[in-house]
Amino acid sequence: MSIEVRQISKTFGAFKALDDVSLLVPSGELVASLGPSGSSKTTLLRIIAGLEFADSGSGTVLFHEEDVAAKRAAQRRVGFVFQHYALFRHMTVFENVAFGLRVRPKRARPSREEIRERVHSLLRLVQLDWLGDRYPSQLSGGQRQRVALARALAVEPKVLLLDEPFGALDAKVRQELRQWLRRLHDEIHVTSVFVTHDQEEALELADRVVVMNHGQIVQTGTPDEVFHQPASEFVLNFLGHVNAFHGRLEGGRVYFGDVPVDAPPYQGVSGAVRIFVRPHEWIIETKANGRPSLKATVCQINAAGPCARLQLATDYGERIDVDVPHERFRQLSL
Amino acid sequence: MAGSIAMTTAPTTARTRNAITEPVLVRILLTLIACGFLVLFLVVPLAAVFAQALKKGVGVYFASLVEVDALAAIRLTLLTAAIALPLNLVFGVAAAWAIAKFEFFGKSLLITLIDLPFAVSPVISGLIYVLLFGLQGLLGPWLAAHDIKVIFAVPGIVLATIFVTFPFIARELIPLMHAQSADEEQAAISLGASGWKTFLRVTLPNIKWGLLYGVILCNARAMGEFGAVSVVSGHIRGLTNTMPLHVEILYNEYNFAAAFAVASLLAMLALVTLALKSIVEWKACRQLQLLDASHGENS
Repeated sequence: MSIEVRQISKTFGAFKALDDVSLLVPSGELVASLGPSGSSKTTLLRIIAGLEFADSGSGTVLFHEEDVAAKRAAQRRVGFVFQHYALFRHMTVFENVAFGLRVRPKRARPSREEIRERVHSLLRLVQLDWLGDRYPSQLSGGQRQRVALARALAVEPKVLLLDEPFGALDAKVRQELRQWLRRLHDEIHVTSVFVTHDQEEALELADRVVVMNHGQIVQTGTPDEVFHQPASEFVLNFLGHVNAFHGRLEGGRVYFGDVPVDAPPYQGVSGAVRIFVRPHEWIIETKANGRPSLKATVCQINAAGPCARLQLATDYGERIDVDVPHERFRQLSL
Repeated sequence: MAGSIAMTTAPTTARTRNAITEPVLVRILLTLIACGFLVLFLVVPLAAVFAQALKKGVGVYFASLVEVDALAAIRLTLLTAAIALPLNLVFGVAAAWAIAKFEFFGKSLLITLIDLPFAVSPVISGLIYVLLFGLQGLLGPWLAAHDIKVIFAVPGIVLATIFVTFPFIARELIPLMHAQSADEEQAAISLGASGWKTFLRVTLPNIKWGLLYGVILCNARAMGEFGAVSVVSGHIRGLTNTMPLHVEILYNEYNFAAAFAVASLLAMLALVTLALKSIVEWKACRQLQLLDASHGENS
């Protein structure tokens, strides 16, 4: 079941939350909507779910090419997972998961036995079968979020929408749950969109990343594409730390300071440019090796982590962050 | 997480309690003043009510309770409460729901208006209805023409009681519903529940203790209301006399034993209300703690 959003706008008073946003999520994909807080990524998700409605006169939402914009949330068959779980606190875990089946009109309601079967198989799927008779307040954050997911899946949703699903969890649980969600998605293949402000989460988990800023989609692509071919400085910056410099472009070469670097794609273009280098893209040598290089002094070293992080200062006073693999770091013996 | 907070804060509270503890003498003095005050102004009068009621013996006591006019007053009081309570229940829940869950034009005005009966003297509340429905009142001639009696009749008493008691349930629910975000309702709706089912299965269970608390207070006030009802009732024995009015009439006739006998019923109502209130408060408090615990872990 694909999701399509066509030219949606949404304003809250004078604030333009979404500005002519269009998006296509192909059937069966897991898509991350990534952006800083205030980029209205949650608003977009809530409009897809029917918990919020787009401005009248603006575009529409389609599920599998069927227009659902006029349908209420209850009729859209959407599984929604809230950032703060929103479990029914007066119901047991079992009752929470069964809720979506129990509230169906009598004709469509499964029998008591079927409901029990379904709930238990869902609880097994999220590996919480042994917690069925507990109350939400007795569970850990990670367990609650898995119950919320089971509850959303119980109604056999056509699409699954997750609003910052791991936002309220601590780093370790987050990591575990992230991998678990990826495996779960590979198993059940329901078209899913999740909102996050964590670029690492988006890049690791999603088939496709939608980067949002100021109520607009600034880039859509695979994690590889958005990371290696960012469409704008914002995307580049948001997807990871980057060093920025001012430079000049002349005759197919970029100069920063007086250091020339070949830039073949820009042959025939000239003028002032901005140059971006990610910390892991530098090569550090203790002596000049004849190739174009930038002289800098080491100011700070932090070797605790997957790589050694150095902070350097150039002669012009610019700061540069550099990541060096540990092996290389030891060879350099700084 | 909640556990660790409790553990880290426990020693601190113990320390602060030590730091602010007063000398033994001061503590005893303060406790004595508080208790003495309570005894003088609450326990003694309450005891006096029962003492006076039973002064002429148990026979007179029960006789004055089953006397025709007394029974009529009791019946009218129960009837009034039985009408006012469900109406205020519906109004209170609807108002609290609207105020806590939606943004709309005139919301702050509605909040202010809900407090109005608390702000004005009950006598004024009664007078408003006389001015509206009385013979010289705005709607009086029309009502008289259609032979509908409101003032000096049961409808007036019910109206005045509803007016005086309508803040109780709404006031109790608004902060409670504010504290609970709309997340659970939204989850229910996204799971396919209709608005009515969402209310019955999600909203109502979450507010039930607050609601019950409001109902108890509302009931106590509805049965005990004097001022507003006094203005609109006309004090017709056996017809428009509620229990508090009946007590007043008996007292004015120097029929102390009977007056205090009926008063003792109201006093017992108060005691039962207090007991129920403490039980519900305790339950609600526990629920709130659960809520806090879950919120604490959420954020």
